[in-house]
Amino acid sequence: MNNKKKFKNDIILAVIVIAVAAVGLLLLNIFKTEGSFAVIKIDGKETERYPLSVNTEVVIETGDNGRNTLVIEDNKAFMKDANCPDKICEGHSKISYKGETIVCLPHKVVIEIVADEATDELDAVV
Amino acid sequence: MKRKSFSIFLSVILLASQLSFFTSCNTVKEKQKFSEYYFDYFDTVTTITGYTETEEEFKSICEEIKTELNNYHKLYNIYFRYEGMNNICVINELIDGKHNVVKVDEKIIDLLLYSKEMYTLTNGKINVAMGSVLSIWHKYRNLGLSDPANAELPPQNLLKEAMKHTDINNLEIDEENNTVFLSDPEMILDVGAIAKGYAVERIAEYLINKGVSDFLLNIGGNVRTIGMGKNNEPWKVGIENPDIEKQEEAPHIEYLKLSDMSLVTSGCYQRFYEVNGKNYHHIIDPETLLPGNKYLSVSVLTKDSGLGDALSTSLFLMSIEDGKKIVESLENVEVMWVKTDGEQIYTDGFKNYTFEYENK
Repeated sequence: MNNKKKFKNDIILAVIVIAVAAVGLLLLNIFKTEGSFAVIKIDGKETERYPLSVNTEVVIETGDNGRNTLVIEDNKAFMKDANCPDKICEGHSKISYKGETIVCLPHKVVIEIVADEATDELDAVV
Repeated sequence: MKRKSFSIFLSVILLASQLSFFTSCNTVKEKQKFSEYYFDYFDTVTTITGYTETEEEFKSICEEIKTELNNYHKLYNIYFRYEGMNNICVINELIDGKHNVVKVDEKIIDLLLYSKEMYTLTNGKINVAMGSVLSIWHKYRNLGLSDPANAELPPQNLLKEAMKHTDINNLEIDEENNTVFLSDPEMILDVGAIAKGYAVERIAEYLINKGVSDFLLNIGGNVRTIGMGKNNEPWKVGIENPDIEKQEEAPHIEYLKLSDMSLVTSGCYQRFYEVNGKNYHHIIDPETLLPGNKYLSVSVLTKDSGLGDALSTSLFLMSIEDGKKIVESLENVEVMWVKTDGEQIYTDGFKNYTFEYENK
């Protein structure tokens, strides 16, 4: 086998390795969901989730005439308005970090930021 | 040609190994993360997080936790009594102007004995006999929250009068007969500074004895970790920025990796009401009868969440110097104080648990 042919084979090997890696990366990206979400849970049950990347305003009805207005703006979520007695949720700062929550205890509403599978998130905040 | 076939062979191996990587994600049974919220216990929100192989397994452990939590919530309740149960509310009741000798569950005896221990350890900063003072604050806070325009502070003379009836020696515990008696008719118990953490620790103990692992209990900021979190690595827990105005740009001031440890934070931002534009929170100093104003928050890292709860409240009310004396008399307790100007003071080993978290 001459040197030229050796070199050609090396090129083939390199191309195959790169192609395999590229296919792998592509597959990884297909299975990965992009970005994080604000998940709405009422009495512990998830009712809806919204991507933080899309600005939106959602009215959450919780029964007993409970209403909370969730706003997503510039990748952050906050409670714009609530008709609960203590208004603690309204006073909560905007959240965007994975694992962060806003809780409205009187209405049993939790807004939680969740991540896609590939990244780390906090398990609790005190 | 030998070399060519070798290169093809190599690429096939590479391809196969990559394929097997993808399929292994689906076939090997990995533990999954689940969480659940409860709103009915200890006047706060409870979050249970766990890694289990199936959702059924997680749910069944949650049911057990819920049963335990419900029981402790009722036993340690100071506001309501429950059918067929002598709880702390019953101990506080007056009949013909006097308290009764009340036979109670061992879980109440144990909590009250622990409370006396904590009274001694914290030089009286944790005093479950302070109910008469705290109930006045509770009343004024609730009035202030429901009618913010007319919010008022409780008058000092009222508080001082109530403070005369807070001698913990008048809490008489008969361990043999499981009875409790308050010998001062005007004294009442408030276990708010200690019951939650104590209950969390008892539940954690119960779970560990059952062989449960990889769970995190978070009861209103009282975190207790059991085993490991994601990928069998320690749990990742953030400490909230107690400066509300800075929360948006920096929501957390520290990140900790915890395994089989508890973290409890007491802060001025947790439960408060506003009077004339100033916030008054719920951690009341037995000396001044006012909310403690030395720190924005105090976080305590310790194995025992009951101790953590009592310490975080009491350290919030004393100087760092006095606090360090107490902490140094104990083992495996680390503390972070956040002063009112935002400065963070740590005990020596606290930073062993922290890590840099950049994932946004």
